[in-house]
This record gives sequence, C-alpha cells and structure tokens, in this order.
Amino acid sequence: MNRKKSIYYLNNKKNDDAKLFKTEILLTPILILIPFLVGFYLIYDWYIRDIVLNELDLFTELLLGLIIIFGNLIFDIPLIRSLIKFSSKKKIKK
Amino acid sequence: MKKIVSQIQKTKKKINSLSFDAHWYRRVFHTFGASFLFYYMLPDEHYLNQIKIIIPVFIILIAITLELLRLKKKISSNHFFGLRVYEKDRIGSYLYFGIGIIILLFFFPQQIAIPCILCACFGDPIIGEIRNNYDKNKAILIGFVVCLVFFIITWYNSKIEILILVSFIGASSAILSEIKKIKWLDDDFMIQIIPAIIILLLIMILNTVGFDIVFEKIIYPGLMPW
Repeated sequence: MNRKKSIYYLNNKKNDDAKLFKTEILLTPILILIPFLVGFYLIYDWYIRDIVLNELDLFTELLLGLIIIFGNLIFDIPLIRSLIKFSSKKKIKK
Repeated sequence: MKKIVSQIQKTKKKINSLSFDAHWYRRVFHTFGASFLFYYMLPDEHYLNQIKIIIPVFIILIAITLELLRLKKKISSNHFFGLRVYEKDRIGSYLYFGIGIIILLFFFPQQIAIPCILCACFGDPIIGEIRNNYDKNKAILIGFVVCLVFFIITWYNSKIEILILVSFIGASSAILSEIKKIKWLDDDFMIQIIPAIIILLLIMILNTVGFDIVFEKIIYPGLMPW
C-alpha cells in the first residue's frame, strides 16, 4: 500500500510523514505495555487472594486478565510488524 | 465500462491506502482501553476515592480542550495520529470512546460496565477486522459471539435464566449499536452506553417483577500496603 500517498491525502497540503510516524512510535510502548501490566496484575491478584489466601472467589479476575493479555497480543503483533516493515523501508530509502 | 471499472479500482486503492497507515494503531488504541479496568483495583480509601474521580475527569477535560483546539485549527490534525479522514472536521472517536468508558466506570455497576467496556475494546476491532477481510454477516455473527462471551463471563454467578437473558440482550444491543451508524454519535460511544442502559433498565424491570438481582463485584479493590 502507498503510505506516502495516504498521508498526503490526510494532510491535504504537505507530506508530514515523519511527524505522524514519530507520534506513533512514541505512544506505541505505552499502548502495548500497560494492558499487559494490568492483565498480569489481575492474574496475580487472583493467585494471591483466591489461591494462596483463599479470601475471595476471583475466577472472573483471572478470565479478565487472560482476555486483556491475549486480546491485546492479537492486535499488538500486526502493529509491531507494520512498524518494523515501515522503519526498514525508510532505512532502505536513506 | 472499462473506464468506470478502472475508476472504481483507483478509488478503492485510494481508500485502502487511506485506511492502511493508521489501521493497526487504531486497533491497538481500542484494545488498550481495557486497561482502564485497573480503576476498579485502586484501593477504597477516602482520599483515593476523590483522586479516582478527579484524574479521569481531568484527562477527559484535556482531551476535550485538545479536540476543540484541533477543530478550530489551532492545533494541526497531523499531531493526532490515527484520525480517520472523516474525523478531520468533527470530534475524534477517541474522545467518544473515553467519555463512554468514564460514564460506565462512574455510573454503572461493575457487572454492567465491564462487559460493555470489553465489547468496545475487543468486540469493535474484531468486528471491523472480520468485516474488512471477509464479509459483514460473518463479522456480525462472530462479533455477537465475542460480546456474548464477555457477558457470560461477568454474569456466570447469576441464575441461569438471568445469565441467558442478560447475555443475549447485552450482546445483541452491543452489535446493533455497532452496526447502526448515527451521524452525530460515534459507534465507540454507542457500543458501550446502549447495552449498559438497556441492561440496567432490564434489571430494574426484573427487580420490580420479583426477581431479586443484586449486582456483584467482579474486581475487588486492592489493599493499601500499610
């Protein structure tokens, strides 16, 4: 797909490719890491309070943790792939 | 005829190239929304309860300000990666998404809020992905199953008739609000709020009829280390 062309249409005036790409790269670690931390924390909480201490029934917390981790993983992989692809294209052009 | 076909192909290419660049970024932005469930894990302490209200409201106010500045052309849309072309001159869907999540976290019980947030975070991108790669009917069917699973997971402790009723109505209303597009309200908002309101009304009606439905906590607040 023609990325340059698409960004041109978005901008209408000039090709601001680098600026957009920077925003994407800066935010990507946050978008990827935080859901994993939350997912693992939910699983940790289930393990400690349900399995170890036997305080509460937190089976849903375990399921939610797994949903958050795997749900994010499904969409994170293509994003990382597209970023790698795009940055390698940029290197070749340079 | 050939000219028309080539013109259609050119237009399709244009549309594809437009949706490609920020495509996966938008999807990940959606799935990231599930992290807001962490809100329920924050300890129940007096001063923290105030912070739990102030910080989300503050974030939304910042987002509203940014959107207003963007719409007034004070900030370039180039700084907002992932915006769709049609969002250039209207409120970005990320703001609707955020407002939807905050309304659910503040005003709805966990058993309603959690599946609705999950439907928006995972159901919506899954439906979009299947619709792009296969066809609309498959997308609706799989989207319905995914949303149904979210409702079953959060209501599995309830009586079987309540579980079935709530799950089917919740998943159907989520799918309907995703399919039905309203010009001035984004589907990211609708997919969260419409099922939540419908289920809340349903529970109220069932309670007046004689069912005794009590909302259960699903995620318990963490304990302070001191």
